[in-house]
Amino acid sequence: MSLIEEDEALIAAALNGSAYAWEKLVKRFESRVYNLGLRLTGNPTDALDLMQEVFLGVYRNLHRFRGDAKFSSWLFRIAHNKAVDMNRRKRLMTVQSRLTSEDEDEGFDIFPGDAREEPEHKLNEIETNQRIIRLLAKLPMEQRLVVELKIFQSLTFDEIALMQEISENTAKTRFYTALKKLKDIAEDQHVLS
Amino acid sequence: MSCPKTEHLLQEYLADDLTAVARDEIEKHLLDCAGCHSELETLLMTQASLRGWQEQRVPHWNRSLNLFQHEQRSAANARVWSAWQWLPTAASCAMLAILLLNVSVLNDEQGFSISIGGRSEAKAGLDAAISALQTQQRAELQELVTRVEDRLDSNSVSLLRAVMEQTQQTTAENFEQLYAYFEQQRLLDLQDMRVGYEELVNSDYETIRSLQQLATFVSYEGNVR
Repeated sequence: MSLIEEDEALIAAALNGSAYAWEKLVKRFESRVYNLGLRLTGNPTDALDLMQEVFLGVYRNLHRFRGDAKFSSWLFRIAHNKAVDMNRRKRLMTVQSRLTSEDEDEGFDIFPGDAREEPEHKLNEIETNQRIIRLLAKLPMEQRLVVELKIFQSLTFDEIALMQEISENTAKTRFYTALKKLKDIAEDQHVLS
Repeated sequence: MSCPKTEHLLQEYLADDLTAVARDEIEKHLLDCAGCHSELETLLMTQASLRGWQEQRVPHWNRSLNLFQHEQRSAANARVWSAWQWLPTAASCAMLAILLLNVSVLNDEQGFSISIGGRSEAKAGLDAAISALQTQQRAELQELVTRVEDRLDSNSVSLLRAVMEQTQQTTAENFEQLYAYFEQQRLLDLQDMRVGYEELVNSDYETIRSLQQLATFVSYEGNVR
């Protein structure tokens, strides 16, 4: 049985009230959704909130899933809309202003826990992720979402265009503009450091 | 970077729907154009740098079906409640519409009938009532205006009276001062006149006395001769 067929079987069982099938379906995608939330919001609390909202949206609309698209594409469409809603409620704006503030390099604590207690490889991991979040925070939400969906979720421009209700060419331009901006910022940071 | 094609070519090159022919064409250009080549390199490096993201473990959370069912029920209840919240507004709108459209409901032996706009006799009665109300309101307004004007007049009179009293008081004080001054001047004049008269009388006495002396001398001279 392929992964897609497995997804469909789990969805059917979950719709019949199987708690096991539902939890298995959630576990399959929760890490991707949580990490998407971390990259988009910049902090674990908002990422967890977003993840819960996404799965609640999935649960409410599961009976509408027709199977004509991949379940993952359908799920990330919900995630995209929830992230846009969240941003509209100014929750992400606050995070963005905090992330882009002048003293961002001081006390920038995206991940909980005492960093001194973490092993070295874990510290490197945290540092890499913090650098990526700082970079993404410089982008407006619509560009950040295109980068997220293209680079991290490997969606096609066709799928992204459908989600953002734009043309495929606009989606390509948005992605290129975002990537160029990230490149310029990374170069500036490299020159300054 | 000075190649005018960079943006368009790289935008297409980074897309996923490029045909093999188009890809070959772009790659051929990239071999010849250092600017486009360099730009593509840095963009790919940026992409690779982003792909260096390390997956974070999901914190413990409740993903059980029961919770989602409960959340959905709460949301459904909230939706029902929010729908009921529109009820007072809807009722107000309906009442306003009934008033504006002059809807009348007639219940007779033939059953219920609802009419919009009202019948002509009912309309005439309504017009008469409105006209009477307008007349009454106009009279009340006129009375109110008169009352306000009266009040304004009485206020003006009081003010004028106060001003006049003040002025009269000031004028009386001024007259008293003037009278005192004239009286003083009169007394001084009388005194001067008395002094002048006394001086005149004294002078007359001296003249008479001189004449007496002259007469005495003349009579003495006559006696001597």
